[in-house]
Amino acid sequence: MKNRITRFLAVSAVEILTLCVAVFLFLAFYMNRRSTETITEVGTIYMTGMNERISMHFQTTIEMRLMQVEELVQECPPQGGDEDREELAYSAKARGFNHLAACSQDGGFEMFFGSPVKVTDPEPFLESLRNNEKKIAVGTDEEGNPLILMAVPASYRMANGQESKALVAGLSVDYIKDILSLDANNTLVYSHIIRKDGSFVIRSAGAFRDTYFNRIRELFKEAQAQGAEGYVDALRSAMEDNRDYSSIINMGAEHRHMYCAKLPYSEWYLVTIMPYGTLDTTVSHLNRQWGYMAVGSCSLVLAVLLLVFLRYFQLNKQQLRALEDARREAVAANKAKSEFLSNMSHDIRTPMNAIVGMTAIASANLEDGDRVRGCLRKITMSSKHLLGLINDVLDMSKIESGKMTLSMEQVSLREVMDSIVNIVQPQVKAKNQQFEVQIYDILAENVYCDSVRLNQVLLNLLSNAIKFTPEGGKINIAMYQEESPLGEKHVRNHIVVEDTGIGMSEEFRKKVFESFVREDNARVNKTEGTGLGMAITKYIVDAMKGAIAVESEKGKGTRFHVSLDMEKAEVEEVDMILPDWNMLVVDDDQLLCESTVASLQEIGIKAEWTQDGESALEMVKQRHREHRDYQIILLDWKLPGIDGIETARRINRVLKGDIPIILISAYDWNDIEKEAKEAGIGGFISKPLFKSTLFYGLRQHMGWNEKAAEDTVNQEGQLGGYRVLLAEDNELNWEIASELLSAEGLKLDWAEDGRACVDKFARSQPGYYNAILMDIRMPVMTGYEATQEIRALDRPDRDIPIIAMTADAFAEDVKKCLDCGMNAHISKPIDVREVARLLDKFIHSK
Amino acid sequence: MNLQECYEALGGDFEDVLSRLRSEKLVQKFVLKFLNDKSFDLLCSSLEEENYEEAFRASHTIKGVCQNLSFTRLYESSHALTEALRSGWSQEAAGLTERVKSDYEQTAAAIREFQKGLEG
Repeated sequence: MKNRITRFLAVSAVEILTLCVAVFLFLAFYMNRRSTETITEVGTIYMTGMNERISMHFQTTIEMRLMQVEELVQECPPQGGDEDREELAYSAKARGFNHLAACSQDGGFEMFFGSPVKVTDPEPFLESLRNNEKKIAVGTDEEGNPLILMAVPASYRMANGQESKALVAGLSVDYIKDILSLDANNTLVYSHIIRKDGSFVIRSAGAFRDTYFNRIRELFKEAQAQGAEGYVDALRSAMEDNRDYSSIINMGAEHRHMYCAKLPYSEWYLVTIMPYGTLDTTVSHLNRQWGYMAVGSCSLVLAVLLLVFLRYFQLNKQQLRALEDARREAVAANKAKSEFLSNMSHDIRTPMNAIVGMTAIASANLEDGDRVRGCLRKITMSSKHLLGLINDVLDMSKIESGKMTLSMEQVSLREVMDSIVNIVQPQVKAKNQQFEVQIYDILAENVYCDSVRLNQVLLNLLSNAIKFTPEGGKINIAMYQEESPLGEKHVRNHIVVEDTGIGMSEEFRKKVFESFVREDNARVNKTEGTGLGMAITKYIVDAMKGAIAVESEKGKGTRFHVSLDMEKAEVEEVDMILPDWNMLVVDDDQLLCESTVASLQEIGIKAEWTQDGESALEMVKQRHREHRDYQIILLDWKLPGIDGIETARRINRVLKGDIPIILISAYDWNDIEKEAKEAGIGGFISKPLFKSTLFYGLRQHMGWNEKAAEDTVNQEGQLGGYRVLLAEDNELNWEIASELLSAEGLKLDWAEDGRACVDKFARSQPGYYNAILMDIRMPVMTGYEATQEIRALDRPDRDIPIIAMTADAFAEDVKKCLDCGMNAHISKPIDVREVARLLDKFIHSK
Repeated sequence: MNLQECYEALGGDFEDVLSRLRSEKLVQKFVLKFLNDKSFDLLCSSLEEENYEEAFRASHTIKGVCQNLSFTRLYESSHALTEALRSGWSQEAAGLTERVKSDYEQTAAAIREFQKGLEG
């Protein structure tokens, strides 16, 4: 393809170049020939005209002179006296003649004035006189100067008594030459007057041969050219026939135009010659210029054409390259996508396995309610994750086109970490890996964040760590906070996920955040995955304006560090205060111990810590001897040396089971519960240990009823006295809602449709109702319309909390409710706790 | 026939409703009131008049009531009908209407049976 185009371009370039050169050459030659021809033609026309003019001029001049002589005769007619001569001489002088004479029949001259003259060729002259004709002839004066003689028949008495035959006036030959410009130097043209035999009458231009014919021969000889006789013969025969003769004489390189015509009143011929030399020079100069122009413009056109071709060729090459790149990319993307499809099963299978496994465990332990509940909780979590994952896969196009948005909401980092730990526990267990969660320096547990996306990031990092870490390897997730550069309202979260897995190569590390990539080697291919995880992670972190960094060494492990700035949530924290008990924290991680002790101090507990079971045992014994026992002991399960359970067993042996020992671990409690209980462990707190985790975890062991406490916090007494308008078209539903909510201390008013609801609200005193519960599908006016009308009322309390209560639970229904200006959405059946929670939230937030 | 048996007969979830309404008396009160609810009549009449918007709303109300009373079986069929009627008449609506009618009859019959037991 590429070669074909190149060849085509080259061939056409050469063809066009050749054509161009040919056309220009042809033009140059043709025009050259044409201009030469034209110049010759012009020369001929010009010469003919020129010669005619000269002949005419000669004729006119001669006629004028002859007439002047005739006038002389008329003015002084012959009277036979001598006085005539005086007058004739005077008149002749006045007319510019140099000589005047009377001529007898036999050719004798009697000079009236001027020096004596002699006719050079008397025979034809006398012949004409005898015939009484006017005549001109050439003669000489006594010094031999050539003269032109003009004879007019007249009978004067001559000195010798004879009657004269003619009056003859003489002029210098130079006069004729001047008149005819025969010898002018400033024209190209020069002329001779010759006789029939070629002898010169008047010669010019330095002609010195005796005859014109010889001059032609000599000129040919000088120019080393042949054919002189041909011209001579042609000229001679033309003169014999009294024809005008016009011809171009080619003497080698030189051209001359010759024109020969008979002159009147004589047997003379005017020969005019125009050399083409100058003309030729001009023409050849023109031709040369033409040639230069032709070559010049040809080269210019060629150059431009060549340039165009080269540029086109270049562009073509670029285009081909781009095409090739695009093709390669398309192929690669296609391959990546098909690989992705075939690999995708894993990430979906992970939570699915948890669901299947937990279902199996639950079915096997139906009678053990707690266990089943635990299983169900995990099933729910895994299902949620699975759903999220499927969404991610479907949303990948969305992410790739940059349309993903974050929905910020209040998030408890404790809940986030708890759920993450719960999700990964089964995987960690399945691969028999060591799993550690570290939480320290927590400044704010509740922050604004997109919890789903945050979960996704953590899960991606953790599941990768688990995936790429061989059995028995170590996986660690740490979370800590510090002041954010964004100000006091924000907090910077650091999340570090480390593993001792297979690591990555340097090249792969660089593109780990690209879509559909995974390291291409045998070890990794055995591990399943979508190849989307890290791309999604990176995208989410970017969208949260955070940063993600990765350090990795092949064979040693990988460390991901995510830092995110989050806004602190302003929650009225439940006063988390516990009695000032003495506690012991035992964990092999120093950071965790210090952080936990600090958290415990915040909730009013004095705590000490140690890093292994033996020293813990020593400290307990020491305290026991001093009769100031710890009131509660937090014990990590995995400890160096003797493990948590064994430590607990030994402590109990010392303290006889008086003190509650609580196990802390990132592992699943269910797996170790039986053994732990046998060892006398009273309870379990799951890592990570947030302040609230510790508070709620410990509170149970101090004789508090957690649920009751929560209920107290959330509901009772707080809703009492609130007046709520309930829009519901169905009486039965109204009665149920009324019954349930009245029991919570709410005062309820009933509106049977949307219109009634708007009217009732509009008629009430501002601030009379604290909230509106709104059904959606009602006759007369729907809940949507009613909400919009209420929001548009001119009342100070038009922003009253409105909560939708409907049988529709689709996401778009919820969205439509919120779009219409409602604050929240509850789906039926009425869940009093949910209603109470929302009412509490919105009424209080007002 | 006690209330729990009645719930079994009409395909409901007694535990669920009890956990929400908290007292059996309350459940009984509302269950008996179900017979007086006009939503089903409205559904039938509006379907006859081919007023599908009204029919949708009626079906929707039945669904809501069933959710509140945990009448699972009738909830499911009325939910399906609601969706079939959401954007006017649809092909599957005919079959679903029959299902709702038969489920409603069963439910109403079970409640009447229970009522008879109370009176008797």
